[in-house]
Amino acid sequence: MDSMVRNPDVKQRDAAQAVVVAVSSDAIFDPEVEQVHGATEPLRKGDAFSFMKAIQVVNERLLTLNSDETLLFDVILLSNDSEEKHSRIIASAKHYGLDIGRFCFCNKEDSIESLQSNEVKLFLSMDTNDVCKALQKGVPAALLYHQTDPNHQTEDQLKVVFSGDVIGSSEEMLHGLREQGFTETQLQGFKTAKGSVKEFAILMGEMRRRFGLEGSPLCTGLMTVWSSRDVCASALKTLRGWGLLVDEAFCLAGAPRSPILNLGFIGNTMKSSTYVKEGRDYSMYYGLEV
Amino acid sequence: FTKSLPKPQNAITIAVSSRVLFNMDKEQQIYEQKGMEDYLKYQIEHEMEPFAPGPAFPFVKALEAVNTRLRELYPESEELFDVVLMTNSHAHAGLRLINTINHHQLFIERFCMTGGNSPIGYLKAYHTNLYLSADPMKVREALEEGIAAATMFNPPEKRTEVSETQLRVAFDGDAVLFSDESERIFKAHGLDKFFEHEKTHENTLLDHGPLKGFLESLGKLQKKFYAKDQRLDCPIRTYLVTARSAASSGTRALKTLRSWGLETDEALFLAGAPKGPMLEKIRPHIFFDDQLFHVEGASQLGTVAAHVPYGVAQKLPQQKPAKENTKDFSAATK
Repeated sequence: MDSMVRNPDVKQRDAAQAVVVAVSSDAIFDPEVEQVHGATEPLRKGDAFSFMKAIQVVNERLLTLNSDETLLFDVILLSNDSEEKHSRIIASAKHYGLDIGRFCFCNKEDSIESLQSNEVKLFLSMDTNDVCKALQKGVPAALLYHQTDPNHQTEDQLKVVFSGDVIGSSEEMLHGLREQGFTETQLQGFKTAKGSVKEFAILMGEMRRRFGLEGSPLCTGLMTVWSSRDVCASALKTLRGWGLLVDEAFCLAGAPRSPILNLGFIGNTMKSSTYVKEGRDYSMYYGLEV
Repeated sequence: FTKSLPKPQNAITIAVSSRVLFNMDKEQQIYEQKGMEDYLKYQIEHEMEPFAPGPAFPFVKALEAVNTRLRELYPESEELFDVVLMTNSHAHAGLRLINTINHHQLFIERFCMTGGNSPIGYLKAYHTNLYLSADPMKVREALEEGIAAATMFNPPEKRTEVSETQLRVAFDGDAVLFSDESERIFKAHGLDKFFEHEKTHENTLLDHGPLKGFLESLGKLQKKFYAKDQRLDCPIRTYLVTARSAASSGTRALKTLRSWGLETDEALFLAGAPKGPMLEKIRPHIFFDDQLFHVEGASQLGTVAAHVPYGVAQKLPQQKPAKENTKDFSAATK
């Protein structure tokens, strides 16, 4: 059972046409250690905050190009917080002028169902377990985490980077991984991830095409972390087949990601399948425990 | 199989841009005349056509030859050359670049296509030991970040044939291996003062220049061959090709190298004579010089030369001088 609250300050999107993205409230607003009863001041910004702002910039630019645009990001804030915090969350969203279309308040156990019933195209959270559970149930999900370099905080470009290791994977490549010791569960995880990222990639391709090559508020990329360049090439072809021509491509061939991550371009330390990154600050990724 | 690639901090990382590794003249022209859209469209349409080799191609092939020899002698070691394709090309051209790498059977597994963003951050992240690009602005940026870098141009019309089994690298001295402090004296006060200064300071070490570290890396690899009794058959050979003269100003250069624990296999003191003919005899895969005049001279006689835009010889407005230069320069003018 969930309680869906529409945000009166935000124009409602046509959910069937939009890219519905659910974001955990703990990512948008700093989950406070102490629950101060009766506190009313706005919640502090969380780690996904500038990601929200970057999404807003993309939406604004899309509407500038076409005021009737329906392919917009439609954000649902997903909250498992206690009831007394609900109004404070809504008030905080208003305070910061966040482009959140709906607030979904539900128990933790009911989260997956809420995601499924609202046809969420991508669920973002900072909790690994939540992300894994969602993935296992077939909900595309990715982990948001905080980039610690304060010099790379920008809110003006949303960077979405996909994993070449997953998208470029083939039966042959998976067989090779089997020989290297990956378990069947892990390999199945690859296949599931590839399937669930497809729809989101198609939408990103469509959205990216609304903008020109240069000066786009949406930047797309591909990163292959441990596979060969041929897997990367395969991923580029696959994405192209899905209608997405990426702007950037990286093939690390086993080089450590952390130096690159600290640049703020891609931020994650786990092997993953989808990185979504906003303005050099964060990244979100599947919790693929490979 | 990516386990066989060295970790960046252990390897000698050579980053090359797409335009120096391959010949992309035609495409570059389209970009300049018709813009990004047409350029990328052309790349995609010609995706299955591999590019022809560019000026850095023989150098990269020679690096691979050295790696093959190193792997034979030290199969577990990560002290190898790691060639990274570092381009701010849009990933739309990505497939054509990968197809070309496959076609030429190059061993390049790492690449960054930054889609227009500056590659400088990535160069640092990959502990880049040498960066070669066709874009002088990026090369300058890299030098300012302390990364050895040089600009490459179209290869010479008649290219001197180079070895496929022995890597040969030639370096100018001042403002390449050494700082530009002596060049400053020469420029400000002329040749006589330069000789005088060098004689007086014969036993004072020159400060280091942007490519000293790269020579050091080459020396480290050379020692690995010597350790296995392969001095005569070493697949790496280095040369100092300097306008200094053997009888006088050359001494300071040699003493400096020696005290750094470095050496070049050959040191050629030209006493101001043109470098082209000597380089033609040496046949290096690449020659580094800070003066375009020497770079062009070398190229006219068939040598692939790269420009290091560092120090007082540059025509562009001076970058802020490196701290060590300022120190020595002020001492010299007292």
